[in-house]
Amino acid sequence: MTRLNAPFGTRINQDNTLRFTFEGRTFEGFEGDTIASALAANNQWMLSRSFKYHRPRGVMSMAGAEANTLVQVAGEPNVPADLTPLKDGMVITAQNVNGNLARDRDAIMDKFGRFMPVGFYYRTFMGPTKSAWLKIWEPLIRKKAGLGIIDTATPRQHFDQQTLHCDIAVIGGGPAGIIAAVEAARSGADVVLIDDQPELGGSLSYAPQTDVDHQALGDMAQNEAGLRILTSTICNGLFEDNWLSLIQGHQLIRARAAQVILATGSIEQPAVFRGNDLPGILLGSAAQRLMHHYGVRPGGKAVVLAANPQGYSVAHDLVAAGVDVVAIADPRKDGHGVPPTGVPILQGMIQEAGGCAHISKVKIRDEWITCDLLVVSVGQTPAWQLPCQAGASLGYDEASHQFSINLKNPTIHLAGSVAGHIGHETVCASAGAAACHATGAEPEELPADPERASANYHQPLIPHPKGRDFVDFDEDLQIKDLLNAVKEGYRELELVKRFSTVGMGPSQGRHSALATARIVAGATDRTVAQIGVTTARPPTGPETLGVLAGHEHVNERRSALHQQHVALGAEMKPVGPWWRPYLYGTGDRTSLIHDEVAAVRENVGILDVSTLGKLEVRGPDAGAFLDRIYTMAHGNQPVGRVRYCLMLSEMAAILDDGVAYRLAEDRFYVTATTGAVGRVYADMTFWNAQWQMDVDVVNITAAFCGFNITGPRARDVVSALSSDINFSADGFPYLHGREGNVGSIPVYAMRIGFTGELSFELHCPASQANALWDAVMAAGKDFGLRPYGLEASRILRLEKGHILIGQDTDALTSPDELGFGWAVSKKKPFFVGKRALEMRRRLGQKRTLVGLTFPADAADIPGESCLVLKNDIPVGHVTSVAYSPTTKQTVALAYVAADDSAPGSVASIRCRNGRVIDTPVTAHCFFDPDNERQGI
Amino acid sequence: MTRVFPLSANGAAGDVMHLCVDHNGTDIQDLTAVARFGLKGPRATEWFEARGIDLPPVNRQIHLADMTVLRLGKQDIMLLADPLAPEPMSKVAESWRKNPTGYSSWREEAWAWLRVTGPTAGATLSQITTFDFRESAFDINAIAQTRVAHQDMVLCRTETGFDLLFDIAATAQVVRDLDAARKLEDRH
Repeated sequence: MTRLNAPFGTRINQDNTLRFTFEGRTFEGFEGDTIASALAANNQWMLSRSFKYHRPRGVMSMAGAEANTLVQVAGEPNVPADLTPLKDGMVITAQNVNGNLARDRDAIMDKFGRFMPVGFYYRTFMGPTKSAWLKIWEPLIRKKAGLGIIDTATPRQHFDQQTLHCDIAVIGGGPAGIIAAVEAARSGADVVLIDDQPELGGSLSYAPQTDVDHQALGDMAQNEAGLRILTSTICNGLFEDNWLSLIQGHQLIRARAAQVILATGSIEQPAVFRGNDLPGILLGSAAQRLMHHYGVRPGGKAVVLAANPQGYSVAHDLVAAGVDVVAIADPRKDGHGVPPTGVPILQGMIQEAGGCAHISKVKIRDEWITCDLLVVSVGQTPAWQLPCQAGASLGYDEASHQFSINLKNPTIHLAGSVAGHIGHETVCASAGAAACHATGAEPEELPADPERASANYHQPLIPHPKGRDFVDFDEDLQIKDLLNAVKEGYRELELVKRFSTVGMGPSQGRHSALATARIVAGATDRTVAQIGVTTARPPTGPETLGVLAGHEHVNERRSALHQQHVALGAEMKPVGPWWRPYLYGTGDRTSLIHDEVAAVRENVGILDVSTLGKLEVRGPDAGAFLDRIYTMAHGNQPVGRVRYCLMLSEMAAILDDGVAYRLAEDRFYVTATTGAVGRVYADMTFWNAQWQMDVDVVNITAAFCGFNITGPRARDVVSALSSDINFSADGFPYLHGREGNVGSIPVYAMRIGFTGELSFELHCPASQANALWDAVMAAGKDFGLRPYGLEASRILRLEKGHILIGQDTDALTSPDELGFGWAVSKKKPFFVGKRALEMRRRLGQKRTLVGLTFPADAADIPGESCLVLKNDIPVGHVTSVAYSPTTKQTVALAYVAADDSAPGSVASIRCRNGRVIDTPVTAHCFFDPDNERQGI
Repeated sequence: MTRVFPLSANGAAGDVMHLCVDHNGTDIQDLTAVARFGLKGPRATEWFEARGIDLPPVNRQIHLADMTVLRLGKQDIMLLADPLAPEPMSKVAESWRKNPTGYSSWREEAWAWLRVTGPTAGATLSQITTFDFRESAFDINAIAQTRVAHQDMVLCRTETGFDLLFDIAATAQVVRDLDAARKLEDRH
């Protein structure tokens, strides 16, 4: 491993050697190397195999602009070797290889290219038999397609996200970006300069110009107060209102800028000729990056394709690095540059490159020249992705043969070569102008740009008779493939893309868009401007899911009694954002749950219902307001009474239910379901704004806690409390509420429940909930009071036939389908959903929720969501099902056809095992249908 | 009567109480137990004005002798007591209970109150919110009603840092997220 001496190798530290393996072989590199540069320094140029034909591929751009350099690093696939810093101990393997990289068994695919013409998969995989796709092709494609291997055992990694705000964000740290950022900062703006490279300077860092000191430019930026610099940071998307997604390692920076200056530069383009994909063929900028950044001599004997002045600069650089430049090929008829001493200029285009795993010769003017390096320099295209994401349209400048960007966004400005400027003086002037636009100053007129005309070579794109003249390296697409796509009738670029997959690979058209536009334009007799490029969408480059996910976050709400439950041995489970006790204790879970059910049915239990939604509705119009919101009557509800609430949408679908406890003429305490309270509060606020009633609504879900004491001995427990509330049957009837105190704790007490048993629900301010809980548990100790969890609660409610909103209802369920006609006022002139309910009634009811029972020893019991059939047509589904330890049978709620809902009718249900069973329909309520237990 | 708040020893978030300390420049202080009082709805403003309490514009706060007045909406006002001298504010609350006008917003029960201070407080918060913390956009005594740590949050800039008022049931999650953010900040 020999490296070039200074001034080459600016990024590496030759005093710090790093060891790594590639394809099982051990290599050495230096600190500062990328994976690709270290491998190139070891003469390992082949890095991967191509997607379709498994051709050998290697470094071409050294800018992460193609799929050729994607490698697998330990468990992480698709790592761009030319951008990723080398680390000691890295274990690197090639991708898309069957066997090993050097002897890839799938390289045979290259011989069968004629059987895989463009779009072949649209036809081939339709046959030969009806099920061939599933049995033959899909498994085969799954095996062969995709790059890299996902390792599910990959160690956990840390990702995080950051937010950044600034007045002006400058994307691109080349000369244009630096000048624009510094000038903007000097005007007093808060400026952030962002560049994807580890150092500022852009092309000047590897393609030095004698009259420009790139180090001084970088120092100027570093020393500018008010200018923040983010290097090694990729701007991967430009969204609405200048929201920029910046990726810096494992961090996503969400940046918002009032103004954006895009100085993203340009993308050097490859030349198209037969064999143009062989390892050892480099873009001019790639050769310069290898030499200047990493001290790597890219070859021993080189030919340079120089179709612009930059090509001649590269030739001089190669000579300075000790490379034997045997010839310069210049296809232009005039305007040749000055070659290094002794290097001949051959007027003509590269016709073909030859070699097996690496280039060994090139053909120019029908003559083969031996070489191990071909450097091509034919032009560039502005980096259009971010401007186009911002709404820019793409044109084509016929004079300079390059795309031009037309961006009409007053907050986004272009600077430097992305705006089509080539000469350094013009680039700098355009940067100053962009800074003026961003800061509101008056820009100066730009100087002429004489270098622009010769920067790009318009290469005639004629297919080679033997093919392998690649336009899209990611997708192995040749000139003939695109011509054939047009011949198939796909004249529009978006269709050509979808048929041929051009531009769909990791490079997203960076190297193929211009050539494709020229080919399609030529084949359809249109201009390149008329063809343009396909829609540019974020992300501009690949990004990992970890970056998008950010740091680990668990959404969690806890009731004030959380630690009480934990101390009692509760198994806590998430229910939406809330963590609730699922059951208490350890051991056989079914037994534990059934014991909790039995405790409630036979004795007394307590359930934390703090997660229930709670709203306070207050004001002179509170009763009238609830009359409009809910289906039952609340305006005439007496103070001290609790009434069921049913809320409908404007299409008469059930949104929520709960109870309203009238605390005073102008004050209601309203409960809502845990999951829907946000929606209920939002709807109440919306309607209040519409109706302009004298009422105020506040969501006090977290401000209050509540627990339900339920079971035959519930009254014994609450009566043992030190309280000023009369808990006797006469003093506190069913569906009544009381305000009072337990000790010094203020409480709302309600005679309501969800179990069908005698129940008291106590609510109090959250900060005093622990004290109230302790008091109740102490009072209940002599009566065997025990807490029960969510699963027991679900069984208890199902035994009683109570519905759960969201489980037993869906987005269309009407009150009539539940048999809830009793909960809908017939006298009120208006409530939300009334008109729709009347209209739906006129249409007729199609389904009804009913009860179903199954013997405990039944062989087939349907699960939730199993279909209810009528004449083999689905008419409903099972919404809830559970074994009832109280009635010793399995009970369920299900929607059946309305005309099959009478008790005694038969419902046919398809079980999960496919069997259809018939079962008799019953009423909802499976336990205490006459309500003799809860009203005592 | 001992009131229990989430970050009390036996409170719902007692297991993360130990995180409410200074860590490399970002201090998390729990003030949930400190008295506060809020009114909202029709006639809330009039009640304060009738008592000569100056009200700031919406989304601003002002400091009076012993309390801070937060204006969260045209008819949504909140008082925060001075943690070291809560009495004067408590007297204001008591006076409302005797003669209520407007409606209690139950902030003293519904919201947790954390104070995040220190030289890296802004950088820590910027990892868990998209809000603009630059002083030019969010100056001292400004209030933002925004999202932080996936929660609706009232964010107040003070001389020394930020006051965070949010859903009390989410206390454990917010403290954990703040702690994770300041530890990530260490790595940068």
